[in-house]
Amino acid sequence: MHSRVDQFMEMARKEMKNELSQTFLKLVTFWAPILRQTALSSFPDPVAAESYSRAIRAEVIERLPELLEEFEKNAISRGVKVIWARDAAEANNIILDIAKRKGVKYITKGKSMITEEIGLNDHLIKNGIHVYETDLGEVITQLLSLPPFHLVGPAINVPPEKISEIFLENGILKEPTTDPVTLGKAARMFLRKKFKALDMGIVGVNMAIADTGSFINVENEGNIRMNKSSPKTLIAIMSLEKVVPNSADAIHMIRMLIRNCNGRKITSYVSFDTGPKKADELDGPEEIYMVILDNGRSEIYKDFKARSILKCIRCGACLNTCPVYMKIGGYPYGFVYTGPMGQAINPLLLGIENTTDLYRACTLCGSCKQICPAGVDPPTLFLEYRSRAIRMKNAKDNWTLLSRLANTVVTVFSFGMSQGWAWSLGVKCVRPVLNFLSKDGYIKDIPMGIQGWFSCRDLRAVPEKTFHERWKDLQNKPVPLADIAKKEVI
Amino acid sequence: MSMQAREEILGRLKSVRKNTPAARPAKPVLSEINLDKGQLLQRFTSELNAQTGTVYQAKDKEDALRILSEIASAETLKFVLTTSDDIYGIDIRAFGSQNNISVSTVQDFSDRDAFRELAFTVDAGITSADFAVAETGTIGVIFHKDQPRLVSIAPPVHIAILPVDKLYPIYENIVEQVFRNTDKIPSQFSFITGPSATGDIQGVHFKGMHGPAKIFVIFIMNK
Repeated sequence: MHSRVDQFMEMARKEMKNELSQTFLKLVTFWAPILRQTALSSFPDPVAAESYSRAIRAEVIERLPELLEEFEKNAISRGVKVIWARDAAEANNIILDIAKRKGVKYITKGKSMITEEIGLNDHLIKNGIHVYETDLGEVITQLLSLPPFHLVGPAINVPPEKISEIFLENGILKEPTTDPVTLGKAARMFLRKKFKALDMGIVGVNMAIADTGSFINVENEGNIRMNKSSPKTLIAIMSLEKVVPNSADAIHMIRMLIRNCNGRKITSYVSFDTGPKKADELDGPEEIYMVILDNGRSEIYKDFKARSILKCIRCGACLNTCPVYMKIGGYPYGFVYTGPMGQAINPLLLGIENTTDLYRACTLCGSCKQICPAGVDPPTLFLEYRSRAIRMKNAKDNWTLLSRLANTVVTVFSFGMSQGWAWSLGVKCVRPVLNFLSKDGYIKDIPMGIQGWFSCRDLRAVPEKTFHERWKDLQNKPVPLADIAKKEVI
Repeated sequence: MSMQAREEILGRLKSVRKNTPAARPAKPVLSEINLDKGQLLQRFTSELNAQTGTVYQAKDKEDALRILSEIASAETLKFVLTTSDDIYGIDIRAFGSQNNISVSTVQDFSDRDAFRELAFTVDAGITSADFAVAETGTIGVIFHKDQPRLVSIAPPVHIAILPVDKLYPIYENIVEQVFRNTDKIPSQFSFITGPSATGDIQGVHFKGMHGPAKIFVIFIMNK
């Protein structure tokens, strides 16, 4: 997918003025956390359930190469053709080659973020093989060439008039309508014809089970089951961090994924595929190609300060709780991954130097970290990216007097704040200086100080002794119990 | 080329210092495991009803036939596809002739394309189910020669039949059975909970996006 991250500010301003976007953002970000909470409360101990899923993901990251090899071995023994792809171009070409070799007329696709990450549709269409998205939201975003507005409802904000228009243009609809159900049923009828004569389907993967070589898809619409049932050839593509040790872990992760994703306890369909169809089966794929995609992830894996992002299971819970996403929606993020999830992963995929606005558009409130079922800590990642960006900038010898000064001040500060004795000394020394500026018990201005602070408030003059000093005095000279009520003692 | 990619990717992953994973906390226990038979059935029913699915308790095979006829007339079924003419002892062909419904069974087909064509044409698919899960009103279906995948996904109505002793509290009870014997893992296994659904346009929810718009589950209470 072509990145439009550079237009972040511009798009964010635009979306904040877009009434329709604002209406849906209010609706989604109000209801989604409530539904999520309700669904999680079906666990006798929701906190324990969360700790357990976080532990699974943490273990997966530690054991990643070993789990991948185990998955590969078992998948191959079941008859799956496993192909590794280093990057987007390689994965796209692998899939194009298979499609060409099979001589397929068209391909249908289940909703998959990874194929959007690598721009698979564009590549196939450019090379003469038409791809039909089959998830209703994705059908709409594909026809309108829109980025996803929300992880679960990528086109939830698109007005029905616009959908009607584009459906008419593409022969999906015969009479204009603004009824969402009529529009949906029209897409159903259109795609049924495609499913019925389908030669090849492409699906993403929600989870892969190492000890059986199975892969799992979670969905509501049934389009993925169609893709896995009707055609003779199936391509599944997964990024390499999707693996879990065993089926019991997968079940727990599915419970957590769905509750966090759409606030339900289960989706309509959760299907486990272990190898192609048996010879005597009437449907299902005769061949399954499993493309395991790296696309930068093995480099991220080597980066200990950033690799925890590989725990992410793409549930999207962090979107609905993010105060920034709540205001700007999915478009400004300019890439397939939106919200805190996108702010954390996109800089690693697209380059920290190209995505400044993403990791700066955060208040560090920590809400995403608190609710993450996989144990990702986006705010800490953002701080890391910010510091890397500064270091990169300085490393290029772009020093100015101001940046040197800022750097020195921050270095002194960080030293002072990390050493107890230095901090104590600092607060002691700064007192007479501050009080020197005070008048009638108030400090009204500091020359060369923080601009703006004193425009509407004053600072009280600082007491001579620090809290710690007074505390120590108090310990040496205990106050009789009877006197504690007399506040002036303290 | 692809072997080279494999070596490169795995090589990078393995080049990293490996830490021992932290010990996991205790696996959270689910309250559903304490439900008795009646409660399991109650829970299954309320969960599936919430997804607009309908649950029947058939006293015996005859009762199941009666329920099937009831569904057939309510849904005006004319043409059904069934995974077998004998689902847990229920004679689906007899049901067809009693109700003037044309019945095709999976065993009528040896040609994949003809089968597929028909699966997209019939009014309903009647299948057995291998398991039911009370936790969420879910049925579990193992796909194989006599249980092709399309019967439960392509037609607009899905009717699933199973004996009540296949109803379990939680998913683990089932997944453990499906994946236990590594030689017998099915090519596909699905959990199905309610009809196919979407809310992708304006958040307006409706059933029957790509798969069935209606689902009926019939428990046979006495074999």
